[in-house]
Amino acid sequence: MKTIPVAFAVNGEPVEVSVEPRKTLADTLREDLGLVGTKLGCEHGACGACNVLLDGHAVRSCLLLGVQAEGAAIETVEGLGRDGELTRLQRAFRDHHALQCGFCTPGFLISVTEYLRDVDAPSEEEIREALSGNLCRCTGYQGIVEAVSSLLGEEEAP
Amino acid sequence: MTRGTLPGIGEVARGKWVGTRVTRLEDPRVLLGDARYVADLTLPRMLHVAFVRSIHPHARIVGIDASEAVAADGVRAVVTGADLDAHPLEDTAVHPTLPKTPQPALASDRVLWAGEAVAAVVAASAHAAEDAAERVRVDYEPLQPVHDIDSALAQGAPVLHGHLGSNVLITDRRSSGDVEEAFAEASRIFERRTHTNRLSAAPLETRGCLVDFERSSGHMTVWSSTQTPDLLRWTLASVLDHPHHRIRAVAPDVGGGFGPKMSTYPEEVVVAALARRLGRPVRWIEDRRESLLTLNHSKEQVIDLEIAVRSDGRMLGMRARYFSDSGAYSFNSATALIEPQLAAGLMPGLYDVQAYEYELTAVMTNKTPIGPYRGVGWTSGHTARELLLDEIARELDLDPAELRRLNMIRADMLPYRSATGLEYDSGSYEESLARALDEADYEGFRREQARGRDEGRHLGVGISPYVEPTAFGTEIGEQSGYPYSSHDNATVTVDPAGKVRIAVGVCSQGQGHSTTFAQLVGDALGVRVDDVEVVAGDTERAPFGLGTYASRGAVIGGGALALAAGDVRTKLLRVAAEMLEASPADLEIEDSRVAVRGSPEAALGLEDVAGAAYLDPAVRIDGEEPLLSSTRFYDPRATFSNGCFVAIVEVDLDTGGVTLRRFTAVEDCGTVLNPMIVEGQVRGAVAQGVGAALLEHLVYDDEAQLITTTFSDYLLPTASDVPSISVAHIETPSPVTVGGIKGMGESGLLASPAAIVNAVLDAIGPHDPAKVELPLTPERVLRLAGRI
Amino acid sequence: MKPRPFEYLAPSSLDEALGQLAERGDRARVLAGGQSLVPLLNLRLASPEALIDLNRIGSLAFVEEREGGIAVGAMTRQRELERSSLVRDRMPLLPAALRHVAHFQIRNRGTVGGSVAHADAAAELPALLRAMDGHVIARSARGGERRISAGELFDRHLTTSMSPDEILTEVFFPDLPSRSGWGFHEFAKRHGDTALAGAAAIVAIREGRIASAAIALLGAAGTPMRALRTERALTDTAVTDDIGAAVQETVREEVDPVADVHGSAEYRRYLAGVVARRAIADAIERAPR
Repeated sequence: MKTIPVAFAVNGEPVEVSVEPRKTLADTLREDLGLVGTKLGCEHGACGACNVLLDGHAVRSCLLLGVQAEGAAIETVEGLGRDGELTRLQRAFRDHHALQCGFCTPGFLISVTEYLRDVDAPSEEEIREALSGNLCRCTGYQGIVEAVSSLLGEEEAP
Repeated sequence: MTRGTLPGIGEVARGKWVGTRVTRLEDPRVLLGDARYVADLTLPRMLHVAFVRSIHPHARIVGIDASEAVAADGVRAVVTGADLDAHPLEDTAVHPTLPKTPQPALASDRVLWAGEAVAAVVAASAHAAEDAAERVRVDYEPLQPVHDIDSALAQGAPVLHGHLGSNVLITDRRSSGDVEEAFAEASRIFERRTHTNRLSAAPLETRGCLVDFERSSGHMTVWSSTQTPDLLRWTLASVLDHPHHRIRAVAPDVGGGFGPKMSTYPEEVVVAALARRLGRPVRWIEDRRESLLTLNHSKEQVIDLEIAVRSDGRMLGMRARYFSDSGAYSFNSATALIEPQLAAGLMPGLYDVQAYEYELTAVMTNKTPIGPYRGVGWTSGHTARELLLDEIARELDLDPAELRRLNMIRADMLPYRSATGLEYDSGSYEESLARALDEADYEGFRREQARGRDEGRHLGVGISPYVEPTAFGTEIGEQSGYPYSSHDNATVTVDPAGKVRIAVGVCSQGQGHSTTFAQLVGDALGVRVDDVEVVAGDTERAPFGLGTYASRGAVIGGGALALAAGDVRTKLLRVAAEMLEASPADLEIEDSRVAVRGSPEAALGLEDVAGAAYLDPAVRIDGEEPLLSSTRFYDPRATFSNGCFVAIVEVDLDTGGVTLRRFTAVEDCGTVLNPMIVEGQVRGAVAQGVGAALLEHLVYDDEAQLITTTFSDYLLPTASDVPSISVAHIETPSPVTVGGIKGMGESGLLASPAAIVNAVLDAIGPHDPAKVELPLTPERVLRLAGRI
Repeated sequence: MKPRPFEYLAPSSLDEALGQLAERGDRARVLAGGQSLVPLLNLRLASPEALIDLNRIGSLAFVEEREGGIAVGAMTRQRELERSSLVRDRMPLLPAALRHVAHFQIRNRGTVGGSVAHADAAAELPALLRAMDGHVIARSARGGERRISAGELFDRHLTTSMSPDEILTEVFFPDLPSRSGWGFHEFAKRHGDTALAGAAAIVAIREGRIASAAIALLGAAGTPMRALRTERALTDTAVTDDIGAAVQETVREEVDPVADVHGSAEYRRYLAGVVARRAIADAIERAPR
């Protein structure tokens, strides 16, 4: 199958791969770059497990083709930490028991990273609405909502 | 820090860890992106599998032509049932009358459900495998399908398994107490049919397995998204005629199990057989559409329940018939009894009803085989009973909370033997109900509800108290009529550096065992939880265990660990006593320091004691094994958790939309290892209950085709659908288990659908109970309210 | 669930894209945000031979004030439109409706033109366009550009009246009539799900009477429809408390919803009346008297 070269940046590092056009960005990250932190839960855009940041915005990497990442800055869960240390966002998830099996967690961390940047004093209902684009089957969401709430109104980046 | 012991049997320490909200040790690697589920594992020269699945629910396979597929790009092999080297899968239940339905890993002469695998393609990539799978030509002769219980039982219906003679797998009856008298004495008899909706556990990680086979040694390694690696290994050895000791089965990180990831699936057999044939690693990852179609289905039963009551609402007797829509095979993990048998056995619940008779029937249909899902058959039985109780309350003009309280087993009646032979060891039934009503401000709510009615708002409340069999040791299995022996083993080892390694058969799919087990052993040995490494889910590194299901982890895994840790503690103290010239009874261990009680300067680091135990002959004594390790077995007595849920909803009778305003949970699971984890389990399970009550439904059409095959149709609750859930704890330790620990984790899905459904019906007001269909979608709500 | 193979084209100009499309006709599909198309590819429910990716054509993404309304380039992300202060100030009906389009991650990538071209009768943007009497600009290699009104655009289920060789380049949202108020309501099983029914209403009031009414409905028929009979019945009616109930009734009578696993036709019909009533009530409330 014919492959097409594509060059972009992942977590601040430039990368170049050559992939079949039909290969999604999710599969490109996971297979060609070995970044398996981004998960596949449905491959039709419903669950959010595959979320990555594309030029700062959370998108479904299962609905993007790898070749479409040309020139883009992609951030995955692997790029959120600092040298193996948990960020405030990650600590908040741990402290509020916002994960159990962990499969949905990378997707949530990505979504919440963008959300916290953009939001201003939301109600609990608004937080839940914003989180409704990520599915979790284990936690019942409360720990995640509490983790997000605990970070609101903070000056520093999470 | 006060040191004490946990209640129950055995000396289990309670120190600084047990009972506290320790944040999970597992979390950092997940948060940093280092968790590795089976789809994340790769091996050199790995090949990928795609399955060819039947599009017909019932058909003869006339022929399979794989020639085009074999010739396709990147394809290494195509295998069909005819050339697969494997025996069919069969359950291992020991039951006097339960027939088996051997299930081939790949169907060869006929298919019994749409989705059944008929061939497997192995190729260089998942893409190529999927491409080639489309080119396998299967010639089917479609046969008439049976799409539900009625059509399966109808005269002249096609019989799925000839040796059964009909589509009834098993019928079972049981009667206790004087049911006839109870019904004769009753002032009223109420009856109701409840058809519970077919559900998928839908873990966010689908299934998958990677199998590596080394030809030179015959050694096979299986990584599978499984709850039961030891059982998987055993089954593969048997089904593939492969030496058991040359198979290693590993559950890597698993993204949710909930029941249906109990082994063994046809796909696991096929992938293992392929790896063995090709001598290369072979991996299969289930996609979501496959998962909704082929992961065990659950929960669908038709339950006809009759309750005989006295004029004051006291229940005198029950009669019930259970029909389970079991799908095409009695699946090997837990058999088709997993729904009807368990529903039947727990129908009296925590109410004092001794006159009870039932008949259960497991029916085979051309649908996906059913399997266990959190709460198993208890959910449907509980829902059927609680719905009827609210109906009784309305008919007799009784408060539904009072009706339940009136009928409950009282504290002074415990231990209590149910009509079906379950021995409830201890519990807090009335206390939980009272606490839940108090936390939910039930009185205040009724006033709010009345005010709401005046304002045109429709608020409702549902109360759902429950008792829950847990841990599934052999005794409770026997009591439940559920024929599986159950136990686990655990090993605790202190290494020469004074660090602790525990190995246990109970593995995690998100339950946080690495933390709770570390807490238990941390207190037992006086070490910090970060000094404890937990190994589980690997048949090469952990002792034989039956895996994780039936809320057994804390009781069985925890119990075996507590026993083993106790042994190791004894050895440590004996060595330390020798070194400190004191008596072991005068020593304590805290934060890895062994000290004479009251003389903190007479102390040693645990690493010094451990080092000496391993390497200093002077501290050894005759007759004692110096190795600081112990492996213990535990098969617990029957133990039951309990609790109560109160759901408060508001219904929009213009749209049928339901909003959950408040959800209150009271949970009594005996000795609590980590309340944060208990709360997480309750909340997660209640969220699944929201789905069961309002959103989720695996819908089949009249041709036995599954219509709901993606997450656009099978709707999981989101953060907007699940409310904040308050969880209050009561601790009634079990008198019969190690540490007084009881199992938990399933109650949320066992009892919350009833609470939510009853709340919605309470909000709607008068309606025809016969028209209640589950799940209560907005449309169904409007129909019940008479709006359409 | 991996797509079947396809040829991938990434034109850097609109003319290039039009040429590629003209050459391939219906063997090719245009890729905009991909939030509707890529799931179909993954599920193998769509298997075009070629995909023409518009994402590198920068000139197709813009939000511009024009006389009489706002012009939005087809490749403008829905999220950008939703968060634009220009749009919020000038036509707040748009962000109010866009909030309901799936989830923000989808809107980060999904495009305005893509949603309109997808022509889902249950989607927000096509209904808004119909309510506002907007139009689109379509271009082709052979015939330059043409303007298609919302009324002419949505003529069949999940298909627009555009020719296979046309690409939608711009969506024009006219300003709401002066002295009008707007309302938007939809109902879905979960937040962000496809609407079971929805309504966008724009109402102008003069001297206590409805001067004009536009009601577009989501999920009420095979195409995004205007409740024309209801609009006619409303025009010149006095604004009283009975209007809501009357609207609910007439809308119920004029819709023709399609049933699926999420709701019967009967339920959707009932719901259409409810959301229309609520949207009209909000529009009347917002309309200056």
